[in-house]
Amino acid sequence: MLKTEELQINIGPQHPSTHGVFRMLVTVDGETLVDLKPVFGYLHRNHEQLGEVNTYLQNMPFTDRLDYFNSMVNNHAYARTIETLAGVEVPERAQYIRVIMDELSRILNHATAMGFMLGDMGAWQTALLWGMREREKILDMFEYVSGARMMCNYCRFGGVVRDIDDWFITELKKLMQGLPHYFDDFEGLLLNSEILLARARNIGVLPKELALAYSVTGPVLRGSGVAYDIRKAEPYAVYDRFKFKVPVGTVGDVYDRFLVRIAEMRESYKILEQALEQLPDATGGFINPKVKQQSLKAPAGEAYARVESPKGELGFYVVSDGSGSAYRYKVRAPSFINLSALADMCKGYTIADVVVILGSIDIVMGEVDR
Amino acid sequence: MADALTQLGFASWLSVLIASIIKVTLILVGGSVGMMFLTWYERRSISYMQDRRGPNRVGPQGLLQPISEAIKTMTKEDATPRDADKIVHFLAPVVMLGATVLSFAVIPWGRMFPVDLNAAVLFVIATGGLHSIGMMMAGWGSNNKFALLGGMRGVAQLISYEIPQVMAIIPVVLMTGSMSLQKIVEAQNDFAGLGWYVFSPVGLLGFALFFTASLAEGERTPFDIPEADSEIIAGYMTEYSGMKFAVFYLSNYMSNLAVCFITATLYLGGGNGPGVDALGGIAGGLLSLIYFLLKSFALFFVMVLIRATVPRLRVDQLMSFAWKFLLPLVLVNILSASFWVALLRWDQQWPKLTEWFGAPSTADATNWGRLAIAIVLTLLINAGAVALIMRLTNRNVQKHLYTTDEELALGLS
Repeated sequence: MLKTEELQINIGPQHPSTHGVFRMLVTVDGETLVDLKPVFGYLHRNHEQLGEVNTYLQNMPFTDRLDYFNSMVNNHAYARTIETLAGVEVPERAQYIRVIMDELSRILNHATAMGFMLGDMGAWQTALLWGMREREKILDMFEYVSGARMMCNYCRFGGVVRDIDDWFITELKKLMQGLPHYFDDFEGLLLNSEILLARARNIGVLPKELALAYSVTGPVLRGSGVAYDIRKAEPYAVYDRFKFKVPVGTVGDVYDRFLVRIAEMRESYKILEQALEQLPDATGGFINPKVKQQSLKAPAGEAYARVESPKGELGFYVVSDGSGSAYRYKVRAPSFINLSALADMCKGYTIADVVVILGSIDIVMGEVDR
Repeated sequence: MADALTQLGFASWLSVLIASIIKVTLILVGGSVGMMFLTWYERRSISYMQDRRGPNRVGPQGLLQPISEAIKTMTKEDATPRDADKIVHFLAPVVMLGATVLSFAVIPWGRMFPVDLNAAVLFVIATGGLHSIGMMMAGWGSNNKFALLGGMRGVAQLISYEIPQVMAIIPVVLMTGSMSLQKIVEAQNDFAGLGWYVFSPVGLLGFALFFTASLAEGERTPFDIPEADSEIIAGYMTEYSGMKFAVFYLSNYMSNLAVCFITATLYLGGGNGPGVDALGGIAGGLLSLIYFLLKSFALFFVMVLIRATVPRLRVDQLMSFAWKFLLPLVLVNILSASFWVALLRWDQQWPKLTEWFGAPSTADATNWGRLAIAIVLTLLINAGAVALIMRLTNRNVQKHLYTTDEELALGLS
């Protein structure tokens, strides 16, 4: 009697396409995947415990290291939580600056994430390096305003640490002139490629109900056909003043997530345009001068605030006992929760699909393991 | 060459020996140096496609980069896994390289032939098939699951793509009436050196099919599945390091080079081109070599362009592409090739044809009426077949994405 034997393979923790130290214990029958067990924790560095020891301000740079692609968004989410907890007013101009940084982060994150996904698919890095080129320009802008390219540590309670000046605005406008060309190039490169369609269509399908059950958020959820975007559902900062659309997929496969991310980059571009237009009229300074940053004390209580990070809903939950540091500190990391749906998305597909599906979820291990 | 040496006063056995040694040295050196240049060429071209510079520090324009890398790999530690089958593990790269170098024996460098076998086409195919043995040895001997998967994938891929590749050559053999690469090159010398097969409908389809199948044979994107680095690390090469890895690398690039050479010979007229016959002698030979290398590197540039652009296929898609797309088209192409040959040359069985359209073409004179009919007929057959197959495999393009600007709380409506 002929029979096949199942083979157990460790993909990771050292593997070219696990996006960090992530391990998948994969059982395959030939090339077909029978079972997948995600194993993580290799990058655990006690982030949440540290958050309970540090003062509120000391913890701000630590949030940079969560999703190291989007430190601006992490700062924003953390600052919002503490502002909610301590009841701090944020001036309008600071809100606009935060929104500009968030949307720039979204563009750079999606550009590189889709590049990495195409790289996992086997396209020899052209899409990735085109994305990296745009990312590099945006990182230069971040460096100018915050002093660091990736670990920005830019937000403060009640605003941001430094104002943006005219040079920044002119450079940003120059940068934005190039962005639509990049979007078009990126779409034109592979969007209708027969091979990409074959590799991405109906692969890694995550049905709507399952996505909701796993409480998946971000482009993965929108790819599955749920129009849920915190910028619309619970407009924070000044997002209610912009006109933008929420792109939504229909099938929930890799291709949908790919399309959603490209469309989101275009929407972010629209938001940036409007924000730059409205910025001169914004009232207030870049920071609320009344807030004592170093010795901020929050009244006893709890707060949860969330923002739409490029990867999904990023929330911070902080319990205060009235002292200068958090009593309990918890991060709702989108990568971690989106990753929990991986095994269900991968079953029945082949090994080659697994890396592509993982790439389409867009994880950062710094956020998963904390 | 041996004759020339005998005339110089060498004993006949000695002149044969010396001539062989010179030829072997030229093949080995030409192949390896060509491969070194090829890596530089590929890296530089891909860099410019990706908005960066590529290797440009070592030597002028980075031309010495491959040499520095060769020295680096040679001085690296040569590690063998503890539980590997030591002998098989050691022999696998040797087998791979040996198979590749063998195919260089019959490749015509322009009009200069190292060896003129009368069944050179078969020889090339046979040596190409030897690769799968090396791959399987590497995959099995390494005692690594990724290597095993890569080896299995490689063998399955090579075996599937041998068939369309071999059958894509049949039209060329039919049209030439010979399997010798020299004869094939000579047969494409009409029209002032521009009578290449690629300019006929049969040759054009055959060229496209052969080149596509050869991409799979040479493990180039989009068929680089056996060494898919994002899935199975490096496939069958995972457990190799240092010199053994370099030998695999060398063999891969040399086989890619060989594929370009063979394609240029079979379909692009080899060293033929305007002015080669007029010059004649050594100058003509050099010009033909230049033409030949230009064509080959243009083909390699196409490979580089594909590599820089498209993702790779999945294993099952690769198989269905070979069996459902390439193979039917190859069979149709053989049919139209036989029509072509029947119309142009062989009509003794059907004298009416001669009555209507005049005598068949000879080497000296072309029968234009017959040529026109052959072109129209084969073009119709081939274009029809391609259109039909494209239509059969075409998937409906459904509209995926929609956008909304409503403010949805949870979108559960």
